[in-house]
Amino acid sequence: MESPSRPPVRLVLRDGDLQRSRLTVFFRLILAIPLLIWVTLRGIAAGVASIVNWLAVLVQREVPESTHDFCANYVRYSTQVSAYVLLAADPYPWFRYQPDYPVDVEIDRPVQQGRWGGFFRLILALPALLLATALGSGFATTTPGQGSVASNGNEDEAVVWGLSSFGGAAAACALLAWFFIVALGRSPRGLRDLVTFALGYGAQAAAYLFLLTPRYPTSDPRLAEPYSQLPTHPVRAVVTDDLARPRLTVLFRLFLAIPHFVWFLLWTIAVFFVGFVAWIVALVLGRLPLRLHRFFAAYVRYATHLVAFVYLIGRRFPGFTGRVGSYGIDIEIDPPERQRRLTILFRFFLAFPAFVVASALGGVAAVIAFLAWWYALFTARMPEGMRNLGVTCLRYSAQTYTYSLLVTGRYPYAAPVLRDPGPGPEPRPNFAPPEPVLGETF
Amino acid sequence: MLGVAALALGAFLLYPTAVPDGLALPSVDVDAVFGADFVDRAKRYERFFYVNWVLAQIALFVTLWIYARRGAAFARESSAGPIGTGMLLGMLGLAIAWLVHVPFALASHWWQRRWDQNDLSYLDWLFEDWAVLAAQFLSICVALLIVMGLARWLGERWWLPGAAVFVGIAALFSFVAPYLYYGTAPLERKPLLEAARTYEQELGVGHIPLRVEEVSADTEQANAFAFGLGPSRRVVFWDTILEPPFTEAEQKVVLAHELAHHSQRHLPKGLAWFALFAIPGAWILMRATRRRGGMGNPTAVPLALFVVAALQLATAPLSSAISRRMEAEADWKALTVTHDPAALEGLMVEFSKTGLGDPDPPFISQLVFGTHPTLADRVAMARAYADGAR
Repeated sequence: MESPSRPPVRLVLRDGDLQRSRLTVFFRLILAIPLLIWVTLRGIAAGVASIVNWLAVLVQREVPESTHDFCANYVRYSTQVSAYVLLAADPYPWFRYQPDYPVDVEIDRPVQQGRWGGFFRLILALPALLLATALGSGFATTTPGQGSVASNGNEDEAVVWGLSSFGGAAAACALLAWFFIVALGRSPRGLRDLVTFALGYGAQAAAYLFLLTPRYPTSDPRLAEPYSQLPTHPVRAVVTDDLARPRLTVLFRLFLAIPHFVWFLLWTIAVFFVGFVAWIVALVLGRLPLRLHRFFAAYVRYATHLVAFVYLIGRRFPGFTGRVGSYGIDIEIDPPERQRRLTILFRFFLAFPAFVVASALGGVAAVIAFLAWWYALFTARMPEGMRNLGVTCLRYSAQTYTYSLLVTGRYPYAAPVLRDPGPGPEPRPNFAPPEPVLGETF
Repeated sequence: MLGVAALALGAFLLYPTAVPDGLALPSVDVDAVFGADFVDRAKRYERFFYVNWVLAQIALFVTLWIYARRGAAFARESSAGPIGTGMLLGMLGLAIAWLVHVPFALASHWWQRRWDQNDLSYLDWLFEDWAVLAAQFLSICVALLIVMGLARWLGERWWLPGAAVFVGIAALFSFVAPYLYYGTAPLERKPLLEAARTYEQELGVGHIPLRVEEVSADTEQANAFAFGLGPSRRVVFWDTILEPPFTEAEQKVVLAHELAHHSQRHLPKGLAWFALFAIPGAWILMRATRRRGGMGNPTAVPLALFVVAALQLATAPLSSAISRRMEAEADWKALTVTHDPAALEGLMVEFSKTGLGDPDPPFISQLVFGTHPTLADRVAMARAYADGAR
């Protein structure tokens, strides 16, 4: 498998310390208001400068140094402000780009670009911006609906506005991290790493949009390896799949999954009822009996196989039994272990934050599916970066479900890296091209 | 031989009809009854569909033949077991057949719009049948689950219990379909309700609930149908047939015709006919797939799809003939209870106008597609009744 060459836009994390000031975190959004106004104003200026970049690429195939630096500084600064707002960094970023800020972006000098790629840049950037939004703040919509309001004994029809959101992995992580930090004074590493990865992808997408680089953004989780690591976890993703996607099976992917949807629904109903019994049994025994563990583990594996297939993360039509090793995108689950009865008792409530993140990552995976469907329909291939990011989303979801179904007592870990680096030094401070990780490695 | 004799005996028992033997249908001048201009227009309109259908069938069979030869290669796209892989191959075959069918369906839709027979936009047309397609995908999976499961369990003897299971499913579906058919409301036309009581008594059929389905927002075509078994029996009128230009007398003929389907037990008989087709069909399928390892082997599924499509085409004339015979019987029973041949004749004229139907289609067309007698034949039956053929 190929490994990504050094990307022209790289996120650098200098925040080895996860300590956060409770006071500034508590008021973080209010403190960030001036910064957000300033970022918006600078964004408008960067937008104007990017038009100059666009014309320059069309004429001389290269952006001028001055506008390149102006836009690059905006990308760096907006990333730093986002890191502050999303609790990935603690120092106040003030009103100008700071080279020593804990979260930074490195952007290469201008290079020659193709005129066609430059001409259609806004259109070409749309998929990347879509994914960046799903990873970052998410999509929020307000929808009007009819409701009734009682006043003076009479019920009046009124328009009720409902808020719904989709995706927003970084926003979800920041929300949970806020509670965690206010309580403990430090940020959870997994959530911080996921936010950082989202910021890095957003910076790549912005740099591509502003014509700072002709290189298309990559969402490969390997880019997170310089600053993130995967702890040993009883629920792991195993990838043996390839990237080919035959067009016929892509075009009819949802229809092909119909028998699985029916089977999954039936299995889910069974899990719902058995789950309650399992909770009682686990409370008594302090662990899940082996048969129930196998039953739930097979269910989680099957759900992962099915979602991988539907979202084009996996190539082949999955089996119906959730057998270990039966699918190219698989989940390894360790045998049952003893768990603390108190955590079993409150498992449903404890799992709630994980479900919030899993839901946001589910939105990311859905965006990946949408983009990959079009890409695979034309090229009969799945982009490797998207596939790998999809696997991390599925892994988190599998960890969440195994935790909530008492298969494991270990809380899900959100960091978007796929491979366990094993024993070795702590996260490297700067980017270095990682070793190939696909195929037999994980 | 015993099996063939049993099938022949079954067909012999099902074949009788209430239409008098030797009923001579008088010749009908369709130009005079329906209008020469209209008949000419209807023939031009229908001709396109005949050509389109022939081309679609050729494309379908060429595609299924290629798929039967090469489709097994898609088995590598499955991580499932044999039955799951068979499902995948079956669904892919259906997907390919659907893709091949789309241009011809589009041409039909274009033609209908051109002749003001359909107002549906192309976008709406494209998306209106997704649920039906999804149901077809699910159906083929269920069918393959049954056939392959039985074949892997019983070997080549699967065909007899397999046919029985399919007949059972068809019977179950016929029974529950009225309960699943939502979106209808009880009929509230007093004259029709009173007529229904009279007809039910004369036809010797118990009380049958009458329902109305609102379709006038989508189509101007008129229709009514009978479905259900035993306690689930129903008659459903499209609301288009309850409005002008259809007169109350014509509506009563429709009512009597649909009640006659129930009184003559056409739905159970239809199931019996299905069984007579399903048993030899399953046997042929078993024989045809033998060289591919039988129906227990997923690589036989693409060939099985081709064989099933060929069987459907080959038996289309026979099933159409059986359906025509039942419809003619329902027409005759309607005449015997309404005693109003003029209303039946008027109804046929209105039917032809609302659907731009050819009153006297070519023989080959009627042979393959004719699930009802031609409009001209139905007018002829009304006139035969009027002439005292009862």
